[in-house]
Amino acid sequence: MSHLEQIPCVEVLSSVVFIIEGAIEETVNPSAIQGHLLSCPNCQAEIAHEQQMHSLLQDVLRRTCDEKAPDGMYSYIHQQLLEQSNQGISEVVTHFSMTEVSIEIDEFGNIEHREIQIEQTHIQHFIEDQSGETK
Amino acid sequence: MTSKDLVLESAADRTVRFERDALVFMDQLYGAALRYTKNPEDARDLLQDTYLKAFASFHQFEEGTNLRAWLYRVLTTTFINSYRKGQRQPQISNTELDDWQLASSQSHTSDQGKSAEIQALENLPDSDIKRALAEIPEEFRIAVYLADVEGFSYKEIAEIVGSPAGTIMSRLHRGRKLLREKLKDYASELGYGKQVTP
Repeated sequence: MSHLEQIPCVEVLSSVVFIIEGAIEETVNPSAIQGHLLSCPNCQAEIAHEQQMHSLLQDVLRRTCDEKAPDGMYSYIHQQLLEQSNQGISEVVTHFSMTEVSIEIDEFGNIEHREIQIEQTHIQHFIEDQSGETK
Repeated sequence: MTSKDLVLESAADRTVRFERDALVFMDQLYGAALRYTKNPEDARDLLQDTYLKAFASFHQFEEGTNLRAWLYRVLTTTFINSYRKGQRQPQISNTELDDWQLASSQSHTSDQGKSAEIQALENLPDSDIKRALAEIPEEFRIAVYLADVEGFSYKEIAEIVGSPAGTIMSRLHRGRKLLREKLKDYASELGYGKQVTP
């Protein structure tokens, strides 16, 4: 029954960031914006310009911000990680495993063979105190 | 195998896994650290702190989720919490954020204005781009960097930064706008994109 709600150019232009981010549905009135865009060449041109500027800006930023970590950084961090992982033992896993084997030979020469396996895993967690020593 | 061997083996395994999965992002994270801190010494420190912190809480990281986004979150929160002490950052007030739509230009740009802006962007040297990025407020810089250099969506950025998605949207809008204004100024200082008077 009702036609698309008419909205002014201002409202479309202020939603440009949503359009660029592909989130037009997050605006208050997405269908009104889309409807307005279909019939307003000025806003169409403005949005097209904004999109072009955004992709240009993105290209320029990506080119400019393409950095390499300083030489030696990789091995330095590798070294630090190793140190941290050696001193920072936070748990001890004790794995206990025992197999009991019994062989019985009865008076008729029958052999009975039994194997019992017992396994136990014990995990102990350490909480680091202020001095950095583990307890 | 003694219990000591088991412990060392599992710690070593974890280190190997962390290095294999996380250290590939070193150059990218350094680039972000450099833009955040604006100087190479602090960027190195921030990168180191980030990796050590990430490693220390690596057991909390759920495998299969986005490790890259997680690392950026560690980097960004470390930066926000430790690296900007001393250099007092003017915080953006909430009312200012609410007005962001009003602050944006509400009129159509002339064709001349458009081509001047394009020309400016195409001709500026890298040093000017970095300078412009360094001069815009930190909250804006972080949002724009994460979106336009790293390609994170505004929702991902909201998680990385720990702010609501709507706030990120407005920071992107205003940050890009500020950046473009600065670049236009630099370009006109260099003589590019001068508007011809009719």
